[in-house]
Amino acid sequence: MAYHKGVPPRLIAVVLICGGVAGPSPTSPQIRFEEIAAKAGLQFVLRNGAAGQFHQIELTGGGVAALDYNNDGCTDIFFTNGAAIPSLRKTGPEFSNRLYRNNCDLTFTDVTDEAGLAGEGYSTGVAVGDFDNDGFADIFVTGVNGNHLYRNLGNGRFADITARAGVGGTDPKFGTMWAVSAGWLDYDNDGWLDLFVSNYVVWDADTEPRCGTPERQFYCHPKSYRALPCQLFHNNHDGTFTDVSQSSGIGRHIGKGMGIAFADMDGDGLTDIFVANDSVRNVLFHNQGDGTFKEIGLEAGVALRDDGFAIAGMGSDFRDFDNDGKPDLVVSGIFYDSFQLFRNLGGGRGFDDYALRAGLTLGTRQLTGWSLGMYDFDNDGWKDLFFALSHLAQVDGYMGIDSALANRVFRNLGGKCFEDVSAKAGPDFQRAAMHRGVAFADFDNDGRIDAVVSVVNGPAKLFHNITGGASHWLAIRLRGRRANRQGLGAVVHVHLPDGRDLYNHATTAVGYACSSEALVRFGLGANRIAERIEIRWPGGGTRQLANVAADRIVDVDEEAKP
Amino acid sequence: MIRNCAMAGLLFALILLAATPASPGRDAYERANALFAAGKFPEALAAADEALRLDPKLVPALTLKAKLAMAGSRYDVARQCLERALEIDPRAAYAQFLYGLVAYLGNDLEAALPRFRKARQLSPADPRAAVYLGLTVESLGDPAQAMSLYEEAVRLERSAGEVHAETLLPGARLLLLLGRLDESERWIRQAVKASPNSRDVHFELARVLLKKGDAEQAAAQGELALTLSDGTVADAAIHYLLIRAWQQNGRPDRAAMHADIMRAQETPANSGAKR
Repeated sequence: MAYHKGVPPRLIAVVLICGGVAGPSPTSPQIRFEEIAAKAGLQFVLRNGAAGQFHQIELTGGGVAALDYNNDGCTDIFFTNGAAIPSLRKTGPEFSNRLYRNNCDLTFTDVTDEAGLAGEGYSTGVAVGDFDNDGFADIFVTGVNGNHLYRNLGNGRFADITARAGVGGTDPKFGTMWAVSAGWLDYDNDGWLDLFVSNYVVWDADTEPRCGTPERQFYCHPKSYRALPCQLFHNNHDGTFTDVSQSSGIGRHIGKGMGIAFADMDGDGLTDIFVANDSVRNVLFHNQGDGTFKEIGLEAGVALRDDGFAIAGMGSDFRDFDNDGKPDLVVSGIFYDSFQLFRNLGGGRGFDDYALRAGLTLGTRQLTGWSLGMYDFDNDGWKDLFFALSHLAQVDGYMGIDSALANRVFRNLGGKCFEDVSAKAGPDFQRAAMHRGVAFADFDNDGRIDAVVSVVNGPAKLFHNITGGASHWLAIRLRGRRANRQGLGAVVHVHLPDGRDLYNHATTAVGYACSSEALVRFGLGANRIAERIEIRWPGGGTRQLANVAADRIVDVDEEAKP
Repeated sequence: MIRNCAMAGLLFALILLAATPASPGRDAYERANALFAAGKFPEALAAADEALRLDPKLVPALTLKAKLAMAGSRYDVARQCLERALEIDPRAAYAQFLYGLVAYLGNDLEAALPRFRKARQLSPADPRAAVYLGLTVESLGDPAQAMSLYEEAVRLERSAGEVHAETLLPGARLLLLLGRLDESERWIRQAVKASPNSRDVHFELARVLLKKGDAEQAAAQGELALTLSDGTVADAAIHYLLIRAWQQNGRPDRAAMHADIMRAQETPANSGAKR
């Protein structure tokens, strides 16, 4: 990174964009992380099966989930893993997917075998949701050669019910599709979680194109592969699903699906779907409320970069960064794309390409981002950005830079712009690696959001949030009754004594191929209480709480008396 | 300054005259060059090969063959030709520039950087080397140095009496990225003057106007860009800009029309095949 007169370029960008007034206030704590995976007993290595042949599938694994599978109040971790190539079989334990139980002391125990979750095939992503409303989080794993649904039996074990459930990923027209991300949402507000799957491209080891020169082979551009549609599966309330991709309109749109994100973008009580596509335009599916979706990415202004370029879309998150009550979109891309930030204008006016004004365009131009998340890491009431980063393997020969990158965290400066505060996030945060997936949760229940990151052919990292300061927080754990059990899709509005209004919603579909905790979190800054909390459940019911004390997880039941 | 440039041009012409008459491949090379200029690439290639058969060390013929190879996306052939040319004449500035361009177009920025630097050193008055060195350092994360190179390229062209839109646009785009919208607009308006029939300049003007909140003028410039064929900006990029510009103008009907056109050009879902 070259410096201009001794000033880091990203600092120049922040000053230029934010007019020099956007620096953290003197009292703002610095966001800091310590990396504790080894100490915590988290010894997972993501094996992508690469052996110098530059197969496209080597690039897309790394799914991580943060979930409380045993309902002990401590968030556990699930990793997806690759397989041997070209057999696409998990030929040894090094390729097993892994479940780590949180021992509630910030250490973890590998319980993969007893849980029955080693998996099969070349796994890529993961989505967690309680699809059968039995109170136990279930796990859906996407893969190159088939997807798997594991039902949580509630006794520490999971059962592979893919075949019966009908969610294996085989399409009548396209055959078995290479799925990257998946997510659970209740699109028809019937109280049962449905399943959305993003599929990438047609891939076959035998016919895969070769790119570069014989002496300098490289991964082919995605344009060398044919694109695939996404899928939507409707929950039949009996452990089975119906593929409604065609009837819903979802399957009519071809893309190269990577990250997905859900939110009710227009406040109509229906969950909408965003898909970040790789090198073709992004799609935004507007939920029509009648079981169909209308694709409005172009009209909404989230389809392309503002110069009309289709970036290599990777991860996405669909949350409100400026606390105006309207969920915004952040999308990561590869080197020279610049990451995107789309500000929701509301009132049917679509989205504004806000990355330049937010200081993200230049600040992310040299980065390649995979999974990401928009969370309030310093609990100041403004959601920050965390990006898991690494260039494509072997890019060093072309760029003169290492493919491994350190992750980045951008602090939200009052909902106006973001400042890259990575350099001060602690020595562990500066270490470069081939980062891929990231899932977010508060693993030690201290009120600060942590991040677990997968690393291609390297040890996973657990970034324990050690941000100082005295900011307060709240987490809402929802218990749906008429709504789905986890309350996914519920929108929560918090009013603070200092006059601020904060918004968030329940979703586990965050980033790229990853799944984060279902709790709805808020940083409260100096406020010791939330003056008013309003929960709008999927399906329309509302619940209000008043004067809720901070620094705790609040359990909210949809039908409990106030 | 103008006198200096004229002197340099005269010197360059004298060097060319001194270098080529003695070559037995000169006639074939000149024929190849003329065919290249006429867009007759296969014929030009045959003539260039004939020139090189007669004089394997004819650097202009090697350089021309490299250009032909690049036009056919045969960067491996282009690289070989340019390496031979530079082996014969390490001070061949244009060959050095093309050698950098081959690396740049192959996304090999690490290789492109020293080649463009060398090209600039060999031919400091060549604005192309400054522009491409700027593009390279911008890609590598140094916008400040890139901007000064773009400014230098414009200064060189202005000194030579004619500023090209292609030289102005990289700087204008970077200024937009830097949030210096007024300066960006100034640069683009110069580009519009230089190439009023280029869709690229009107598209860029529309972009910056939209960023500045002038959706009406942005829409007008976008619609104008669509009517022009000269340039590299894809129709889809212009339609996408117009969707947003017309929406901001309160004309969702016009926005929808452009969205429909874009969708009609996309691959339909039923075109995929079962593997």
